[in-house]
Amino acid sequence: MAHPHERRSGGGLDRREFLLRSLGAAVALPSASAILAACAKPGEGGTGSAGAVGTGGVDLGGPYPIPTADSPVTWTIYDDVPPIADGLKVEEGATLQIYNWDQYIWKKQVEKFCEKHGADYKITTFQNMDEALTKIRTGELKFDIFFPTSDTFGKLISSKLLQPLNHSYIPHLEENVWPQLVNPYYDQGSLYSVPYAVYTTGIAYRRNVISDEQIYGMSNPYDILWDPAHKGRSGVYDSYRDTMSMSLLHLGNENVNTDKQEDIDAVEADLLDLIDKVDVRYSINGAYKLLPENQYDVHLSWSGDIAAGWFYVSKDTAYEDLGYWFPEDRRGMIGNDTMAIPTNAEHPVLAHEFLNFMLSFPAAMDNFAWVGYQPPQNEAQPSTLTTTESVWGEPYIWPWMEAAVVRKEDFERGLPQWELTPDVDDMWHDAWQNFRAGAK
Amino acid sequence: MSAPTTTRTPGRAPTRPGTPPERARQSWFRDPWRKPRVLETITWAYLAWSLLPVMLAIFMSFSSGRSNSTFQSPLTLQYWVGTGFEGDDQSLFRDPDLRSAIRQTFTLSFATMALAVPLGVAFAIGLDRWRGRPAKGANFLMLMSFVVPEIILGVTALYVVLYLFKFIPLGTPAQIMALVTFQMSYPVIIVRARLLSIGKEYEEAAMDLGAPPKQSITRVLLPLLMPAILASFAIVFADTIDDFVTVAYLSGAAESQTLSMKIYTQTRGAPTPAVNAAATFMLISTTFVIALGYLAYRRLSRGQSDAGVGGLASQV
Amino acid sequence: MRSSDALEPTKSERRRAEREAANETGVWYPKGYWKRFATPGTLWMVLFFVVPFYVIVSVAFGTVDPVFRSPLPVYQPWWWSFDAAAEAVGKIFGPFRQSYIRTFVFVVLASSMCLVLGYAVAYYVSRFGGRRRTLFLVLLISPFWISYLMRMLAWRSLLTNDGYVNDFLSFMHLPAVGWLEGEPVTVVLGLVYGYIPYMILPLYGFLDRIDSALLEAGRDLGASPSQTFWKVTLPLSKPAIAAALVIVSLPMFGDYYTNNMLSNSPRTVMIGNILDDAVNTSGQGPEAAVFTLVLMTMLLIPMLYYLRSTARELARR
Repeated sequence: MAHPHERRSGGGLDRREFLLRSLGAAVALPSASAILAACAKPGEGGTGSAGAVGTGGVDLGGPYPIPTADSPVTWTIYDDVPPIADGLKVEEGATLQIYNWDQYIWKKQVEKFCEKHGADYKITTFQNMDEALTKIRTGELKFDIFFPTSDTFGKLISSKLLQPLNHSYIPHLEENVWPQLVNPYYDQGSLYSVPYAVYTTGIAYRRNVISDEQIYGMSNPYDILWDPAHKGRSGVYDSYRDTMSMSLLHLGNENVNTDKQEDIDAVEADLLDLIDKVDVRYSINGAYKLLPENQYDVHLSWSGDIAAGWFYVSKDTAYEDLGYWFPEDRRGMIGNDTMAIPTNAEHPVLAHEFLNFMLSFPAAMDNFAWVGYQPPQNEAQPSTLTTTESVWGEPYIWPWMEAAVVRKEDFERGLPQWELTPDVDDMWHDAWQNFRAGAK
Repeated sequence: MSAPTTTRTPGRAPTRPGTPPERARQSWFRDPWRKPRVLETITWAYLAWSLLPVMLAIFMSFSSGRSNSTFQSPLTLQYWVGTGFEGDDQSLFRDPDLRSAIRQTFTLSFATMALAVPLGVAFAIGLDRWRGRPAKGANFLMLMSFVVPEIILGVTALYVVLYLFKFIPLGTPAQIMALVTFQMSYPVIIVRARLLSIGKEYEEAAMDLGAPPKQSITRVLLPLLMPAILASFAIVFADTIDDFVTVAYLSGAAESQTLSMKIYTQTRGAPTPAVNAAATFMLISTTFVIALGYLAYRRLSRGQSDAGVGGLASQV
Repeated sequence: MRSSDALEPTKSERRRAEREAANETGVWYPKGYWKRFATPGTLWMVLFFVVPFYVIVSVAFGTVDPVFRSPLPVYQPWWWSFDAAAEAVGKIFGPFRQSYIRTFVFVVLASSMCLVLGYAVAYYVSRFGGRRRTLFLVLLISPFWISYLMRMLAWRSLLTNDGYVNDFLSFMHLPAVGWLEGEPVTVVLGLVYGYIPYMILPLYGFLDRIDSALLEAGRDLGASPSQTFWKVTLPLSKPAIAAALVIVSLPMFGDYYTNNMLSNSPRTVMIGNILDDAVNTSGQGPEAAVFTLVLMTMLLIPMLYYLRSTARELARR
C-alpha cells in the first residue's frame, strides 16, 4: 500500500532541507564531506521571512510569527508537506508511536483504541519540551502522535516537523470541542493540531497545614511559596516558563511573555530569594505525587496535577487534605496542550483516527478521570464536574478544589503563555539556568 | 613509647598458648596480638551499611502496597508477574514498558559483550607485544576511556552521533557504539594482567617445536588466556546491564530504554515496587553471569598461582 | 605444524627458512604482526573516542541554529567563534561559581570519608581476614555488580519521610529529618555509599601485596602494632592511597544522578548537573560543550597521574 505522503526516506531530511535553504550548500552529503565542506559557515544565510511560515501574529523579527490572543496566526501549509488524502484505510498491524509527557494519557484508552483497529502501541515519554523538541528535531524517531504545548508551533511549523491535519477524519473536533479551541489563536483553523487538555496554573497546598481561608485571604497568595514557615516543604516546577511566569505574577507583572531584560532580572532575583527563604526544590511530579505523599506542603501546580493527586495519597493523607488555589478573578496562567502528528509519522491514518477517538466524549472523559486534566468538551458542563461521578465512582474534580475547574470564559480573562522568539527564549533560559544552579 | 607494663588486670582475656607470660597480663588493648575488635566491628558495620539497604529493597519488591518505602504485607508477586496494584498491569513481566526495557538491556549486553571482548582481547595481545610510540598512544587512549567520568563519554558520544556520524541512529546502534568504546578497556586490562603472568615461555616452546605464528596463538596463547577472556565476558556483560549514563544520553525512542533508565525515571517520578522488582531482576542477572564467569575462571585456571577470588580481585 | 597443502612455501615458512639460515633462535613473529592485532581496537578508539572530542571542540566554538537553537558544529578552525566559550567560562566564575566550589567540597568530603572508612576495612580484611577472607571479598566486590541506581533507589526508599530511617529515629525519640529535602549531607553520604567500593578494592589489593617481611622487621625492632602501622604500612601505602583517591573522586566530579535521585534541589547542584542541564536545554549546546572541555581539563592532571601510577605498577609486577 502506497504511503499516503509517498515520500522520501525518513527523518533527517527535514532538517537537511531546512539547512539547504539557509546555506544553499549541499549539506545533505555524507558526513565525511560535511567535515571537508568548506562552504558557507553554518548558521548563516537567511532563513526566509517570518511571513513565509504563517500569516498574522506578531512579527518580532524572528524566523516565525508569534501567535498572541490578539493576533492569531494561520500557519502555512507547505507544498512539500501536504495533508494525507481523504478516505484512506487505516494501516494494518501498525504500532502507534506516541510521544508524550510521562503519565499524561491513560493507557487503557490507548488500548481500547488499538483493539478497535487491530494495532499495537508504544508510548515514549519526555521530561520537558526542550528535550522533546531536541529529539524530534533529529528526525530519526518516527512518532505518530506528539503532544506539543501551544507555544511551540512556530518552531515546529517553520521546521516542517508537523503535518497538516485532514479534518475529514476528525469530525469530533468541530462537534465536541469548545469553539474557541477549535479555532485557537496559536493555530487558526486547527490546521496542525487539536486541543488535548485545558488547565490553569495555580498553587496546590495541603489543607491540613494551610487553611482555605488563609490562602484565599492573602493579598498575594503566591507569597505562600516564599513563606519561611514552610521551609523545605515548598516546591516549584522544573519548567522554566511556568515557574518564571509565576514569579512574574508574584511580582505583580501580568506580562507573562515579557521580553524585557529588567523583568527577567527581577524574576531571577525573586527565584533566588525563594532558595534562600524556603530551600525550594523543583520537580515535575511535586504536585500530583509528592505533595499528596506529604513531602511538600505547598507546590506550584497545574490544575490537572492536583486533581489527580488523590491516587497517590500516603497513609496519613486524606483526600480532603488536597487543595488548589487560583486567583479568584481568574487572571492567572491558563493554557492548553495539544495533539499533533509529526511529518514523518509512519501511520498517519491511524494517527488521525486516534485524534478523533480522543476527542470523542466518552474517551475524553474517561481519560480525564485518570489523568486529572480536563478536556474542552462541550458536553461536560464545568459546573457539574464536582458532582458527576467518573468511572472511579468519584467526582471528576473534588468539591473542595473547585478552583481547578476550567471554564470557557477563563480563556478570556486568563493569561496564556505565548511562544517566545529565540533570543528572548535564550534570555529566559539563562535566568532559569542560574536559578537551577543555585547561583548567587 | 613505654615498655610493656606488667599490671595485672582482673578479668583479663585468656592467654594464647605460647604467649609469653608478661604479655598475658596486659589489658586487651595493649596486646600486640590482640584481636582487632575495633576494625572488625567497623568492617561488619560497613558491610551491613553497604548491603542491608539493598536487601531491604529486594524485600520491598514483594510488598502489597503501592509505596516502595513502607512494606505492606502480605508478601506477593503482584509486582513481578502479577497485575500490579489494583490490576493496572504495572508489574515487571506484564508491563509492556518494563518488558521492552528488559529486552533492550539484554540486547545491549549481548551485543556489547560480543563486540568489546574480541576487540579488547586482540587489542591487549597487540599492545603487549607491540613496541613503540603508537603502542603507547593506543594504550593511553584505552586507559583514558576507562578513567574519564561517564558523563563526558555520554555527551561526546551523543554529539558525535547527532552531528558527525549521522548514519548511526540514536538508540540501540548509538548505545552499542558508545558502550563498546569504554567497555573495551575491561578485557584489555584483565587480559594484559594475565599475559604478564603467563610470559612468553609457552609460545617459545611452541615455536621451537615448529608451530607457525598463527597456531602458536590459537593453540597455545588463547587457551592460556581463556580464564581471563571468560572473566572479561562476564564483567563486560554485567557492567553493561548496570550502565546508565551512556545509554540514557544515547537513547532514542521507547524501545531503546533500558531497565536502568526506567529505574531512574520512575524513582524520580512515581515509583512503585515494580521498580524494585526491576532492580532485583537486574541484580539476579548480573549475579548469575558473574557467578558463571567466576566458575569458568576457576575451572580453567586450576593449579595456577592466581586462581581464586583473591587472584581476580588483585588483578582488577 | 606446516600448512602442508600449499605447494608454494608460505610467507612464514620462508621467513623461518631465512632465520634458520641466519642461525637465529627464539620466539619470532613476522614484522608488524602484533600491530595487526591492535589495529581494530586502535581504529575503534580513534573513531569513537578521539574524534568525538574534536566534535565537542567544534560544537564549543561553533554556532547555533537560528530557530531551534540546536548546536551547529563548525569543523574548520578558521571559523571558530570564541564568544560562546568566553561567556560559558565567565558563567563558571560568575553564577556557577558556588556550584563548582560546592562540588569540590562534596568530593573532598566524600573522598576523605571513603578513605578513612575504606582503609580501615581494607586493612582489616587483608591483615586479619583469615579464613573468612573469601567471604569478605565477595561481599566487598558485590557492590560492583549491584547497579549504582539500585543502591541509590534503596537509600531513597529508606530516607523518605515515611521511610524506615525516620521510623527508626522516632523510635529512638529523635526528631525526624527531611533527608530528601535538599540536604547536602544526604548527597555527600550518597556519594560515599556509592563510590566507596572503588576505594576499598585497590587498597585491599595493595595491602594484600605488602611484603610481610617489612612488617615483621618492624616488629622485630620493637615497634608496637600502631607504630608499625604509622611508620611502615601507611608510608608504604601512600601511592596506593593517592591512586585510590583519584579513582574514587573522578566519577564524583561527573556525577549528576546522585543529586537528582537524593535531593534535586538548587542547594546541592553539582558540576554534573550543570552539564546535564546544558546538554538538555535548547540553545545551550555550545555551552555544554565548553563545560565538558573545562571538566576534562580540570580532571586531566589527576587522570594522567592515575594512568602513570598504574603504568608504573604494571611495569613493576
